[in-house]
Amino acid sequence: MNVPSENVELSARLKARGISRRKFLKFCGLMSTTLALPPRYAHAIATALDKPKRPTLVWLEFQDCAGNSESMLRSGDPDVAQFVLEMLSWEYHEIIMAGSGHHAEAALQRVVKECKGEYICIVEGAIPLADGGIYCTIGGRTAVDIAQEVCRNAAVNIAVGACAWDGGLVAASPNPTGAVGLQEAVPGLTNVINLGGCPHNPVNTAAVLTHYLTFKELPAVDQFNRPLFIYGNLIHDQCERRAHYDAGRYVEEWGDEGARKGYCLYKMGCKGPETHYNCPAVRWNGGTSWPIKAGHGCIGCASPRFWDTKSPFYSRLPKVPGFGVDVKAEEIGWIGTGIVAGAMVAQVAGNIIRDKIRPDNNGHDGQ
Amino acid sequence: MKDTATASNHTFWKDPATGQVRIYVWEWPIRFSHWVMVVSIILLSVTGYYMHSPYLTAQGHEAFVMGKMRFIHIITAYAFLLAIALRIVWFFLGNRWVRIDQYIPTTRRRFRHLIAVCKYYGFMAWSPRGCIGHNPMAGASYMIVYTMAVVEIFTGFTMFAQVVQSPVLLFLFGWVPRVIDIQYLREIHFFIMFGFWMFFIQHVYTAALISIEERSALMDSIFSGYKFVPEEELAQEMGMASPENTAPVIKTH
Repeated sequence: MNVPSENVELSARLKARGISRRKFLKFCGLMSTTLALPPRYAHAIATALDKPKRPTLVWLEFQDCAGNSESMLRSGDPDVAQFVLEMLSWEYHEIIMAGSGHHAEAALQRVVKECKGEYICIVEGAIPLADGGIYCTIGGRTAVDIAQEVCRNAAVNIAVGACAWDGGLVAASPNPTGAVGLQEAVPGLTNVINLGGCPHNPVNTAAVLTHYLTFKELPAVDQFNRPLFIYGNLIHDQCERRAHYDAGRYVEEWGDEGARKGYCLYKMGCKGPETHYNCPAVRWNGGTSWPIKAGHGCIGCASPRFWDTKSPFYSRLPKVPGFGVDVKAEEIGWIGTGIVAGAMVAQVAGNIIRDKIRPDNNGHDGQ
Repeated sequence: MKDTATASNHTFWKDPATGQVRIYVWEWPIRFSHWVMVVSIILLSVTGYYMHSPYLTAQGHEAFVMGKMRFIHIITAYAFLLAIALRIVWFFLGNRWVRIDQYIPTTRRRFRHLIAVCKYYGFMAWSPRGCIGHNPMAGASYMIVYTMAVVEIFTGFTMFAQVVQSPVLLFLFGWVPRVIDIQYLREIHFFIMFGFWMFFIQHVYTAALISIEERSALMDSIFSGYKFVPEEELAQEMGMASPENTAPVIKTH
């Protein structure tokens, strides 16, 4: 196949891969709506992206399951990744690059030296710090060592997925490898965008890249350095089952009448009411579906330290420290209230007896 | 209660027994905030428990059960906030029986009294030791209750800020979920509700008990503001008070 590689505009390169300009413009429209921009920005995005020069991108993988890469590469038709792969020059990505071993590592070193301060770095997976960071090494170097070098020299760092953001699954209690997210492993980085979620949504990642390529700056972020266009709203407020929540119609158990009718999954432990994400709007697999639409409650995968804070995934409240796994908060509360009520009944009985046997000569001021 | 039962019916309120004086103890902000708290805690518990675990089945196509529950919860929460705020103000502006020092046993006298109260409830004394305002044990328990109320308001508004995304609320409470995850705040908020229930049971029981044992019309006093106190007890307590505090609040029968 005759694919022009360099010095050709993006739309021409896409055309050579069988993606029409119409599909390219649809992609630009998707990006502008994901970024919550007015429709006219689709044109601005198309103009900005349709350049011959491709910015360099490196994709680092540390303690991960490659789920974010998978999510990116298998995202629908036409694949968001097809656009992103053509928009940028991917110089290093362990899963999809042809080179291996020392050649691969040399490619990364070349980028760090030759494109210093210009390349985009995407980080996937947590970075272990315990015992000198030996629990994740690539080519004999620890993950934290590689991240220090590559991320400090990047123009932009994007931490994709829960692990790269705050350690995710790897950092879940008891966190044996001392895993942390990118910002904690490489302190002082000011150009980090965190895209929490397990996995990240490739449309959101593409939108962040598009925003950067179009406006030459990173999108507005919240206190966790997460873009507001992604993490600005509660899932609950965008949920298609919200009307059932307000009405008071809930799934009581899996597979019941309510589950078949698509009632709210609140009582099944859905974490939509406490999770900020645009999951209901962007959805997955080319906008086909998303967890709550598929009938499963949200597990809050875009929340900080969600494995620890949002579990158990099938109950409303976390496990109470010091009690068994199956003991629910309301059981403790009711039993405690019952004990107090019992104590008061015992007090009443005791006082009746005391009144009966109290010596008459003992006045009310006596002790 | 024999003494008061024989009293004349010409007044709305009970008359004090022989040797007792009628004193105005609870000023209106105390009584008002007390009853707002009672009503709002009941409403907040009923709606809040539904918000935790919906116990009603919605009927019909126009059902709006959770919506109404949340509406009542939020409106009532503001009433509760104002009642607690009024009560906190009255810690500093109120009479000598509701000042902040009545709620923390700091003096040796209050501490000894606390021990006496413990002995009474532990069935180690025949009768309760009289007290015009709160006894030190009651005062300390109310301090715990007001602390719980403040935590409840704090956690509640943090969760509310996440829902309404109001810039003012987020400015005030937006930092909290970074320190304690919103799920644990929710759990604390839920547990404190049971704390209020436990207090409610104990509070009503104790008030009834002391009302009977001391014949002090304690139960009536949260409506009327007046308690019946033995004359010598008043003289003893007034003897310890500074004059400027006592003068305006004593209204004997």
